Amino acid sequence: MSIISIENLTKCYKTKKALSDVSLQINEGELFGLLGVNGAGKTTLIKILCLLSKKTSGSVVINGFDIERDAEKIKEIIAVSPQETAIANNLTVKENLEFFANIYSKNNSEIINELINDFDLSSVLSQKAKTLSGGYKRRLSIAVAIISKPKILFLDEPTLGLDVFSRRELWQIIKKLQKSTTIILTSHYLEEIENLCQRVAILSKGKLVKVGSIQEIKEATGANTFEDAFIKLLSEGENE
Amino acid sequence: MNKILNFTKRNLKEILREPVICIFCLAFPIIMLSLFQIINNYTGGNTPMFEMKSLLPAIIMFSYSFVMLALAQIVSKDRQTFFLKRLYSTPMRPYHFILGYFFVGIIIGTMQTFTCIICGIIISLIAKTVFVSFTGIILMVLSQLPVLLICVFLGILFGILFSDKSAPGVCSLFINVAGILGGCWMPIEAMGKFELICRLLPFYPSVYIGRVATASLNSFGEVYQFDSVAKLGTIPIMIFLLVSAVLSIVFFKRSMTSDT
Repeated sequence: MSIISIENLTKCYKTKKALSDVSLQINEGELFGLLGVNGAGKTTLIKILCLLSKKTSGSVVINGFDIERDAEKIKEIIAVSPQETAIANNLTVKENLEFFANIYSKNNSEIINELINDFDLSSVLSQKAKTLSGGYKRRLSIAVAIISKPKILFLDEPTLGLDVFSRRELWQIIKKLQKSTTIILTSHYLEEIENLCQRVAILSKGKLVKVGSIQEIKEATGANTFEDAFIKLLSEGENE
Repeated sequence: MNKILNFTKRNLKEILREPVICIFCLAFPIIMLSLFQIINNYTGGNTPMFEMKSLLPAIIMFSYSFVMLALAQIVSKDRQTFFLKRLYSTPMRPYHFILGYFFVGIIIGTMQTFTCIICGIIISLIAKTVFVSFTGIILMVLSQLPVLLICVFLGILFGILFSDKSAPGVCSLFINVAGILGGCWMPIEAMGKFELICRLLPFYPSVYIGRVATASLNSFGEVYQFDSVAKLGTIPIMIFLLVSAVLSIVFFKRSMTSDT
């Protein structure tokens, strides 16, 4: 059953078309990947789905709610962990968790303690967010995003700038989250998408090039690896 | 209400944990008050402008411009770090944000007012000079409230319009204008037609009305009276208050759906 339905979505900035006629269905409980090189339109798409940017045309329905008419209802069921970690820098880790919990009226010590354990934040609990390492900042950013137990979670480049160990740790966390939440993840790390996502949408210059599972995409392009399939699809897109 | 309180609490912590902002907001007014008293003492107490009853409303009005700086910095930083954008995707409404910043401005402004008054009392005790009456203090604090509100709204507006690098620059220009054209430490009354320009801005009328309040129960009232300067002065104050409030609300709401 599709939880996000996108039809002919277009987004134009003053001089640039960032998304062009994108149509896409994302199923409930899926870990869905948005893949593309820089400027492909991944973040623009996420911003529209998170109500942070307005579409130019097309329609978007999230969990049965129209993105323009029912924005407030959609805000109750989504959460986002943006590319920029976007946490309160002068607040401690615990204060950040409490602050975000209060927004959703869920300042319940049980939920917060559960997150502290799941994200292994106990050692940095009284540390100010600005003093955390990149890995811990990302963990905190995702932890505050899921504090409301959202139905849909958007992760925009969640492992950007992290070392290989921190990246692998985050992958484990994301895999665990997927059991209870629909996750839409953007990345330009092919390995990450291959490891985590059940289905992928490949974007290039604002256009949707291909949607399917990793296997389906490999088969459709006749490539042996996902990287080859990705390059082939983007090169075909360039030549069109 | 819980969301507003939650956001206010966060903003207050965020500001009070920035040492530079604390120095500007709380320590700087104390330093200025003390410095002018020392100057007054060394000049044999012959500078009426530096007497406590004249200086206190001026320093309080001037210190409110630092509230604007603090708010402009936190709002612009919240925008720059994507923190605000992230919160825009939560169930928080525009008024939660505006009031969350607004109340922090009022709290800091109140802290500044109390700090200046307590510091004024201590200095008066040390210098063995007469301090302002209790009624005078209450009237003076109330008379400065509109300027505090103007500074709060302008702080939010500048934070929305400018980046965290340029907002402090714009604010420092405003702080200088408030200090100089507010007649805080310069006798504007003796500057002929220049006084007319100063009367068109909210700072000088506000300080003037504040001085009328502190002087109401003593001889200083001969210089500052509730005359046409004070009465007409309320017009620019109210216009600035209305315009800054409307602009900050409009631009904040616009920023919630803008692409930048």
